[in-house]
Order: sequence, then structure tokens, then C-alpha cells
Amino acid sequence: MDASQLMEKTNKKKNSSLRLMFKWMGKHWYLLIISFGLLYVISYARTLIPLFTQHIIDYVLDYSNNGSTLPNYLYVLVEAPDTKTQLILAALMIIAVDLVRSIAIFFRRVSSAYFGERVAFNLRNNLYRKLQNMGYSFHTHSETGDLIQRCTSDVETYKFFVADQIIEVARLVLLVGLSIWQMSKLNVDLMFITLTASPILLGIAIAYFKKVEKMFTVIEENESNMTTDVQENVSGSRVVKAFANEKYEVEKFEVLNRKFTDSDIRLTIKMASFWSGTDIICFAQFCIISVVGVIYAAKGIITLGVFTAFLAYAGNIIWPMRHLGRLVGDFSKATVAITRLDAILSQDDEYAHESASTTPKITGEVVFEHVSFQFPGSTYHQLNDINFHVKPGETIAIVGKTGSGKSTLMNLLVRLLDTETGAIYFDGIEIKNIEKHHLRNNVGIILQEPFLFSKTVEENIKIADRNLDQERVKSVAKIARIHEDIVGFEKGYETLVGERGVTLSGGQKQRVAIARMLLKPKPILIFDDSLSAVDTETDLEIRGALKKEWKQSTVFIITHRITTAQEANRIFVLDKGVIAEVGTHAELLKKGGIYQQIWEIQSKIDFQIEGGEQDE
Amino acid sequence: MSNNDELFEEESFTSQKIDFKVWKKILSFMLPLKKQILIAIVSMSLLASTDVIYPLFSKYAVDYILRPGLNDTVNPNYDNIGYFVLFYVLYIIFSAIMVYLFIKFAGRVQAELAYNIRKKAFHHLQELPFSYYDRTRTGWIMARMTADTRNLSDILSWGVIDLTWGIVLMVLLIVVMFAINWQLALITITVVPILALISTWFRKYILRSQREIRKTNSKITGAFNEGITGALTTKTLVLENDNYNDFNGLTTDMRNKSIKAAVIRGFYFPSVIFLIALTTAAIYYAGGSMVINDALNITTLILFTTYVWQFFDPVNNIAETYARMQQAQASAERVVSLMETQPDIVDTDAVIAKYGTLFDYKRENFEPLKGDIEFQNVSFKYHVGEQVLTDFSLKVKAGQSIALVGHTGAGKSTIVNLICRFYEPTVGKILIDGVDYKERSLGWLHSNLGYVLQTPHLFSGTVIDNIKYGKLGSTDDEAIAAAKAVEAHEFIMKFENGYQTECGEGGSHLSVGQKQLISFARAILADPKILVLDEATSSVDTETEKAIQTAIYKLLKGRTSFIVAHRLSTIVASDRILVLEQGIVTEEGSHRELIAKQGQYYKLYTNQYTEDMLELSKL
Repeated sequence: MDASQLMEKTNKKKNSSLRLMFKWMGKHWYLLIISFGLLYVISYARTLIPLFTQHIIDYVLDYSNNGSTLPNYLYVLVEAPDTKTQLILAALMIIAVDLVRSIAIFFRRVSSAYFGERVAFNLRNNLYRKLQNMGYSFHTHSETGDLIQRCTSDVETYKFFVADQIIEVARLVLLVGLSIWQMSKLNVDLMFITLTASPILLGIAIAYFKKVEKMFTVIEENESNMTTDVQENVSGSRVVKAFANEKYEVEKFEVLNRKFTDSDIRLTIKMASFWSGTDIICFAQFCIISVVGVIYAAKGIITLGVFTAFLAYAGNIIWPMRHLGRLVGDFSKATVAITRLDAILSQDDEYAHESASTTPKITGEVVFEHVSFQFPGSTYHQLNDINFHVKPGETIAIVGKTGSGKSTLMNLLVRLLDTETGAIYFDGIEIKNIEKHHLRNNVGIILQEPFLFSKTVEENIKIADRNLDQERVKSVAKIARIHEDIVGFEKGYETLVGERGVTLSGGQKQRVAIARMLLKPKPILIFDDSLSAVDTETDLEIRGALKKEWKQSTVFIITHRITTAQEANRIFVLDKGVIAEVGTHAELLKKGGIYQQIWEIQSKIDFQIEGGEQDE
Repeated sequence: MSNNDELFEEESFTSQKIDFKVWKKILSFMLPLKKQILIAIVSMSLLASTDVIYPLFSKYAVDYILRPGLNDTVNPNYDNIGYFVLFYVLYIIFSAIMVYLFIKFAGRVQAELAYNIRKKAFHHLQELPFSYYDRTRTGWIMARMTADTRNLSDILSWGVIDLTWGIVLMVLLIVVMFAINWQLALITITVVPILALISTWFRKYILRSQREIRKTNSKITGAFNEGITGALTTKTLVLENDNYNDFNGLTTDMRNKSIKAAVIRGFYFPSVIFLIALTTAAIYYAGGSMVINDALNITTLILFTTYVWQFFDPVNNIAETYARMQQAQASAERVVSLMETQPDIVDTDAVIAKYGTLFDYKRENFEPLKGDIEFQNVSFKYHVGEQVLTDFSLKVKAGQSIALVGHTGAGKSTIVNLICRFYEPTVGKILIDGVDYKERSLGWLHSNLGYVLQTPHLFSGTVIDNIKYGKLGSTDDEAIAAAKAVEAHEFIMKFENGYQTECGEGGSHLSVGQKQLISFARAILADPKILVLDEATSSVDTETEKAIQTAIYKLLKGRTSFIVAHRLSTIVASDRILVLEQGIVTEEGSHRELIAKQGQYYKLYTNQYTEDMLELSKL
């Protein structure tokens, strides 16, 4: 299923992002509550500091012949008979309050970090498990880049949202709320005056950051166009040089480079207008507060200390508004990330409707009864009414053109695909009742394009049994005729392969894949054209060695080589989803069908070589 | 993943010492921006001064409006309110202008600087020879063009501006404080060195831990990549649990590292708050005592408690910029190293004088190219590794087609690379039309060369754009004619948008066979005298295969061509076959001659080309 289909699927499920957001927190939500609790303490402590200022000015230094506005429990702590002691006590109490605040801030950060990292940890692991368990069709159709993007940056966005942005919003709201509450106790009129600009600022900020988001999209697009151009230029450097198009490339890049730079500058100018424009509003608000406050103070409505405290509270309210607006404007990013992640997590994997739990002994007998298969969305049957009976120890070669259904047939045997009609039996037990892992442990399949992991050759060979000793690794490498190649590498068995290591040839990869499949004896072994990139001589050697060591096993070999098919006990010729011919090499030759035609082509080559005749 | 590579590369380059030569080079990119830089720095400095002035407003309000009123206990001084508002408004306008200017110009410096660096780097990349691309991974180059450039331009614009602001603000604060009250000023500035120490330590720690975390994160990305691309293999080998445990190990590591970093970082801000609280308390105590003794105005006391806080931001900024400077140093080194890589295949000055540079050909001086090619005792070895060709000589007449056959590593690609002058012979000469090709320009050769890669490389853009790449400025009709000539027209017309179909990045929207045909069209449009064809090994569907064979036949006609051949039909169609083994021609002749010889070719042919025969006979 590709990206767009993924999306469609989520829309159907209608899981609200909010619900998912909490669902993914799992049992860690209590850490969020702790953070909120600590935030309350932090914000409250912060709104106490201006009261100390007021206390010192008005009460201790007795400037306005007025009382202290400190809450009673604090007041009794700083009360003393003489001014000097009062001053010392107030100073100590400021230290104490800020100490509490500091400690609370520290623990708040720690609890947020634990929360965010644990939630992200769970999410990453769930995603990985999900992706591993997704079925065959998902993996043959998905876009790796897109999936990785989701599993990395979308997880980061989610984590950042729940562990930082929500907290930040809560912090600002608490700070603003508590500051308003403290102000309301000092002077209600002045409180309302202080608040006038806030909604305007908040509104402007939200609108601005929403709008700017579109500019960001444009910039990102311009940047990625430019980066793609460099990427293509670098990876296509041969083409550029061979066609002598260096000048054209420079001119093309110049346009893209300029375009990106200009869009970046346009955003900067927008930013400059926003910050300077809103600065005017903020400062104007302070100006009004100062003027009104000072008049009130002069008239004795408020004291000098209250005036000073008000200016501090105004700072708590006015400056954060723009930041709050930005955070709210950013919410949509998190929603998008959550939806994209849910598109993966809410899908059914290949174990979704799985109930098979039996682990019977598999000897190698395979029976197909009226098996048909059709890919979802396809208009024709990939396989149509397949019937056969294979005895333990038999070697079956499967030949046929591309698209005749050979691989599908083999994928059914390991349940990478599931039959819709008909049944497959292993020793009389229906395949659907056999636990998948058990089945795959017993039926080894070597894919045509095997995947090697970013590990050493040795680790790759013993991937299915990591504790294996080196001797055994070498012995299977010898059977698969890859030992000589490996010893030829500079670092031998320690050579790093895969994405970050040396690149092996197609044939070498196939042989490593064969080696790793041979670690443990398996009653059934499938070669899905997995010797295609190995030359005929080596092909012969590998099969010879296998025959010796794996006498008991049933072997299915998909092959294009007649020489390979020739040695099988029986040959199945697949054509358009049906088994068109079955028999030994000799029987099929007599029959005069497709197999015989292929054989003839072979002979023709031989003839041609001998006669030196030209085909053209 | 290129993402991974980037990070690993980053580690290997970081040095601690400041390299002035590197910075000189970088600064040369800033020179054209000196006006903008100056405006940004001046406006930022002025803004810093407004930050110092701002707390003085409240002091003024109290001292000149409130206090006169308090004294006669009737009314505030309304005259002074007028002045106050006037100054306040002027202040607001001034500071808003400064904010606008510094953001606009610092942003512009950032963007333009990055632009200049990228422009220069890209230009240089075009001059670098193929050998550079052969040994440098795309990811490495990409990281220089993106992350490093961003990092550098960022620190040289916003970083420098932050630094300016921080320093100016601190200096002004200290001056103003000492001018007002030296005792309180002394108490206040004791906080600065401690703050600086704490900030520097934390900033460095934060950067270091971020790098560690990024490294782990890139491992996780790599694991996701393997988990997805290797999913079927995982299933068939039943590795789900082992893989999950490995992955869990990585995410656990990530979680633990991140939490540890967050806990240590968590100390930073609280310790700053506590430090400032200590200082504030000290000011209240000392200042308060002075107020009691009438030695200090209470508004000055309030002013100082505000100023204590104002030290935090500049110190924090300076510490951060300082820490980032070290990262920027590494970025600068890498960017400069890219720009200073000397191309080892260049035209001599004399050649440039006659034929022009890569970016400015003097086509009028280009001699027409006939297509005779001669290798004269050519030996060659790559930068690292063994001798690939030894004393190789070969004469090819114009119009002949040569098929190169042999095992991997036999020297086929090397011969092709030498003809294209992607590499030059270590010993010996290559003559084109009887003249050493070093005596002519790269542009001359490449203008007459057609090159089709084994894995065809298309650019994003439409099909027709990609065909026209072979001859820039050609018309649609010419491009379509080229497509028709190589049997590509038919399948292109089957697309909904025909020639306007987007090819996708690297041609990802098209199949391998389709990409090959388009690259043929591109090559034939260029109408080259010399054609180099590195044939693809991958199999395509029968219909396309047939088209490709016809197209190759047409491509070869009338051109000197070299083919690294895999298809039997191609080999058979060529004039001469060279069988190579370890850089030496072991057999040479036509298909018929070589088959009759029953030697190396015969053996290769019977082993490798049976499959081809199978395919061929189906057609």
C-alpha cells in the first residue's frame, strides 16, 4: 500500500489526533501531571517576587507608609521588630523562594525529559515492530523514504509536541493567569489596563505564524529543489561532463540558488516587520501602564511598591503573548505528524487475524489442492487451480516465463502470501493452522534479490543463529561456494557488507544468502531463482554439494537453466498461472510442449557455437 | 543512508585550533556584503543601548513625575508626563526601527552568504574531474552544500550579531551602573564571571551531547531503513525477534542518553536563577541599607535589581556563540577543502587561450572531429590500486565500432573512461584524429562525444527536457525525431502526458528500459562523432529489449564507438571485438573469427550468453 492509500485508510478510521496523542502516552501520562504540578509551583513562585519588591519598598523601607501585600504565611516569616532585620529576612526569603523555584524547574525539566523520551521510545519500538510484521504486499509497495521520514521526524515532532510545546503553553497560561490573579488583588483597574493589548498581540501572533507557515513551505520546497539539483548534478557528473553541459548546469543552479535565497530573504523581512511591529504594541502598552500607574501612585490610589510590582507583572503578560501565538500556530504540525504515524500504526499487519498456533513436525511432504491466487485489485488469477503432491526428499524444478506465477507459488509455501481458494497441506496439516514462525523455520526460501544487513560477512551468514562457531560458518560458506570469495577480501570474514560496507556482486550476494539459509537443516528448501547471478559452473557445484549434505530435504528450484532443471526428480512447467506440464526431463522432452521448445533453443545455441553460424 | 555518512564524516574533521587561512577564505565571501553587515551591526549596537535605557524610564517616571507630586501631596507633575510620553514614543519608534533593521540585514547577510558559498562551490564542482566524483561520496558533497553552508552562514550572521549585542550591552550596562552607583555596580558585576563560567560549560556540554544523540539517532534511522528494505528477508529467516532486540538496544541507548543529557542540562537554568536570586538579595540588602541611611534613591535600587537580570541573556548568547564557533570551524574547513580541491584534469593555459574554458567555449576555434582514435602505449593506474592498463596500444578508424568483452576488472571501463578523458593516461598518449587529445580542450572532446551509461542517469524534469539535454537549445521537433530514431517515441506517446511526462528524481518514474531508450535519444540528438556505450546488464521486458537492440544498431552507425558489451546481439553487430584480461587484449577479431578460435571468447560466450540466446530466440 503506498502513501496515499495509507492516508486514505486513516481517514476511514477517524481516530482523532487528540485521542491518539493521549493513547500513545501509555502509562507515562502521570509524568505529564507531575510536570503540570511543578509548573504551578514555578509560576506561583515567580509571581511572588514582585510582591517582595513591593514589601521591601512599601513596608520595610516604609516609603509609602503602607502595608505589605505578601501573603500571610510569608509575611509572618519576614516580620521583625527592626528595619535592618526585616531587610535581611526579606533578602533571605527571596533566595528561599527562588531556590524552591529553581529546584522545581529542575525537576520539571527532568520529568518532561523522562516523559518525552519514554513516549518516543515506545513509539519507535512499536513502529519498528509494526513495520517488521507488515505483510508482503505492504513491503513490496511501500516507499522506504516516506516511511523512514515518518518513523524519524514525525516521531520527533510528536515528542516535541507532548513533552515541550504542551508544557510551554501550560507554563505561559499559568504564568499569565497567576499574574492576573496577583494583579487583581493589588488594583483591578490597573489590571484591566495591563490586559488590553494581550488579546490583540495573541491574535496577531497566531495569524502571523499561520501565514508564515505557508512561506516556510515555499522555502522548504525551493530548498529541496535546489538540493535535488545538486544531488542530480553530482550523481550525474558523468553525463554533465560527457555532454559538456557544465555551463548550463551552473546557470540552472544559479536560478534555483537565487530563488531559494530570495524566498528566504522575503521571510526575514516579514519577520522583521512582525517583531518590530509587535514591539511597538508591547512598548505602547508599557507606556500606558507607566503613565496611568504613576498618576495613580501620585494620587495615592496605589503605592510606589505596587506600581513597581505592576510593571513586573505586565512584563509577565505582555512579552509571552507572541510566543504563545507561535506555539498555537504550530499545533497543526503536530496534528499532521500524529495522523501520519497513525496511518502506519493503525494498519493490520500479517498477524492481525492470525490464530494458528500449532507447531507440527514437518517432514517435507507438500500437497496443493485446487490452489488459486489473485493479487488484491488485480483482474486476473496469478495462479489458477494448482494441484500437486510432493514427497519428502524430492527435488522439483519450476520453469516458466516471467510472470507465469513461479514466485507467487513459492511465496504461498512460506505464507508471505495466503491462499484464498484451495488448500496447502504439510504432512496432512493445513498450512493455515501452522504457526508462521514455525513454518518459516522449517521452510527455507532464498529470494532472488536477497538483502544483506550492514554487518560483517560472518555476522550475515550466522544471522539466524548468532552464537554459531566460525567453523560451521566456514563450512556452510564452502557449500555455498562463497568461502573463496570471502577469503579473497582484505578483511576476510570481517568484511563489512550492506549499505555502509563493500558492495558485493549479485552472484556473491546470492551465495551469501544461500550460506545463511544452510545453517540449520530444513525439511524444505526453496531457491527462488536464487542462482541466477551465479555462473553455470558454480551453480552446478553448489547443487552438487547440497545434494550430498541435504539428502533428506524437499527442494524447490525456480530456474531459467535447463541444465539445472534436467537434474530434478520432476519438473513443473508453469504457464499463465497453471501447471502446464509435469514430469522428468525425458518425459517432458517426449511430450513436445513448452519444455521441449526451451530445450530446443538450448540445442540451437550449441549448434550455433559449433557451426560458428551467425544469428543476425 | 547519506544521512549516516554525513555524521560520521563530521566526526573525522573536527579540529580545535583556529585555522586563519580557512577563515580568510570564508571571510572573502562576506566582503561583498560589508554594507549589510555594517548596518546590521550598527543597528544591533544601538538596540543594545536602548535595552540599557529602558529601565531608566520607570526611574524617571518615579523621580520626576511621582516624587514631586508626593512631596506636595496634591498632584503629580503633569508637565513631566508630557515629556515622559514624548520620549517614550520616540524610544518606541527608534527601537522598532532598529529591530526591523537588524533582523532584515542579519537575515539578508545570512541568506546571501550561503548563496555565495553555494554558488562558488557548485561552480567549482563542475570543474572537478570525474576522478573526484569517483572517490567522493555524493552524501559528503551534499552535506557540504547544505548543512555546513547553513551552519557557517548562520554563525557568521546571527552569531556575530548576537555577539555584538551581548558585548555592547554588557559594556554599556557596566558603564551606566558605575556611573550611577559604584558600590551596587560592584555587587552586580560579580555575577558576570560566574555566569560566564556556568554558561560556557553548559553550552559546550549541550553541543557535545547533541552530537552524541544525533549519532545514535542516525543509527536508528539506519535500522529503520534496514528493517523496511530487508523486511522480506527478515520474514523468511524468522529474524523478527533478533532484529527487534537489536533495535530495542538502540532506542534504549537513545532514551538513556537523551534523558541523561536533559538532566544535566536541567541544572543550567535553575542554577542561573539561583545565582541571580543571590545577587538580587544582596542588592536589596546592601541597597536597602543605603536607602535607610538616605544614601541611595529607592528608584536606583529598583533599577539595579532589573539590571542584574539583563546580564543573563548576553552572557548566555556569547557562551552559545563561542561553543558554536568550534562547530563552525569544522564546517568552514570542510567547505574550504571542497573549494580548494585542485582538479587534476585541466586544460593547459595555451589550450584555454585557444579553445576557451569549460564555461565559455570558443567554438569558432574547434577543429571538426573525424573520429580516428589511437592509444599509444597507454598505461594507467587509479589513485589507489594496481596498474589497470599496461602498455596498451590500439588503433581505431573513424566510424568503427569496438566491443569490449571481458570479466569485471579486466579494464573495459578504464578504456572507456580514458576515451572520455574522465581520466588521463599515466603513461603514453591518446590521439584523436592524430593529435594528442591533451592539446585540444575538454570542451572540444565532450562536444563531440555521446555517452550512454550502464545505469542511465536522467534529471528531474520532463522527458523532452531530458532528451534535449544532449543538445541544449534544440527544438521539440529535433528531440522527437531523435526519440523516433531510437524507438523511444512509441512508449513515450503511450504516457498520458507524452513528452511532457515528468521523469521524477533520477528518472524514478520510468522503468530501467525506458530510461535507457531516453538516454539513447539524448545521445543521438547530440549527434556525436564518438560514442561510448556502457551496456546495461539488467533484463527488461521483451518489447523494450527489441527496441533497445534496434536503437543500439542505429546509434552505432557512422560513429566511432566503444561498447562495454553484455548483449550478444550488440557484440555481434560491432566491427571488432576486443577480449580483455587484466588490461591486456588477449583476443581480437569478429564474432565469427573468435568463435572459430575456440579460445577465451568462446568460453566466455558459452558460459555467459546462453541466457541471451534464449531471450534472442524468443524475438
